[in-house]
Amino acid sequence: MFNLILLITLSFLSATLTFYVNEDLRQGPVRSSAMLSLAVALFFYFFPHSMDSYLVKNIPIVFIGASFVGMVSARLLANYLLIGIGGILFCLIYMHTSKFFNGYGGALGTSASIALLAVLSIPIVGKHRKLTNGIIQLRKVLFKPGKKNF
Amino acid sequence: MSWNKTARNVFIVFLLIIQAIFLFAIFKENTRSLGIAALMLILCILVLVTYFKGQIHHEDHAYEHIFVVLWIPVGAVTCFYLNHLLKLGPVLSATIIGSLASFIPVIKKSSSYLPQLPAAIYCGAFIGMSSTGVAPNFLFILTASFFTAVLLILSKNLFAGVGGKLGTLAFAGVVITSFLYFLISSYV
Repeated sequence: MFNLILLITLSFLSATLTFYVNEDLRQGPVRSSAMLSLAVALFFYFFPHSMDSYLVKNIPIVFIGASFVGMVSARLLANYLLIGIGGILFCLIYMHTSKFFNGYGGALGTSASIALLAVLSIPIVGKHRKLTNGIIQLRKVLFKPGKKNF
Repeated sequence: MSWNKTARNVFIVFLLIIQAIFLFAIFKENTRSLGIAALMLILCILVLVTYFKGQIHHEDHAYEHIFVVLWIPVGAVTCFYLNHLLKLGPVLSATIIGSLASFIPVIKKSSSYLPQLPAAIYCGAFIGMSSTGVAPNFLFILTASFFTAVLLILSKNLFAGVGGKLGTLAFAGVVITSFLYFLISSYV
């Protein structure tokens, strides 16, 4: 359970940090993703016994994968919370990725794009929710409790 | 229907199929875990919502230049070399390639060509992250690079700014090559 919480926290951090370096520090998506992930990968390369072997193997992978979510353009998504949620979704997909696709290059990117596309739907679904709320309000106005309808 | 529009629609449907197969494989392996199966179904619906309602593509269709995608095999072969021959592992190899590639535009800041190379090289590096069980040799990597290059040419204005696009294209290239290898080994 501790491992799962740590990986989820790191994927949230990775996605948001990459987006920050990419958009706010204007370093571009490739440098933001690659250099942040390089720092993490180098740490575990030189200190392979610093943590549990499961974490040493999976932290760099989760970090680089979640950083792909943070490569999103601000034109599409500029909300840090949603980007972080995208990172968490990536982590959940990665942890259950089919064994059939083990060792396929680009599988991390595919997981990241699925997570990001899912997150990008939230504002669209949210718009429709506002519409639903509007219909509920209209219904309340038309059919006030206690008001007799003839 | 014009050629541009056909190419655009075929590409979008192709990528949707690739992502659907990826999610379905997870769903199939986790049918006993209700939570995971439900999550995959919800993700599938949300992805479909973005495909149909999201503003993820540019209106006009454009093609990536061939001199840009020529760098995909360079990234792929170098990453594969670092990953398997120097045994640095997939993440370290891809991040070294990506970090170095990101500084290419610094060579000549006025160039309009150089800023396009880091993405192509990083995309290639994802192909080089494949394990030897999937990609046994450099020929496989070069073939996967070719298919990925074709997909990148077609998708210049599609999924623009979507994180994970390069990885998805690399994955598609590797899947097509694996399928091709499977067909050849079955019939030859």
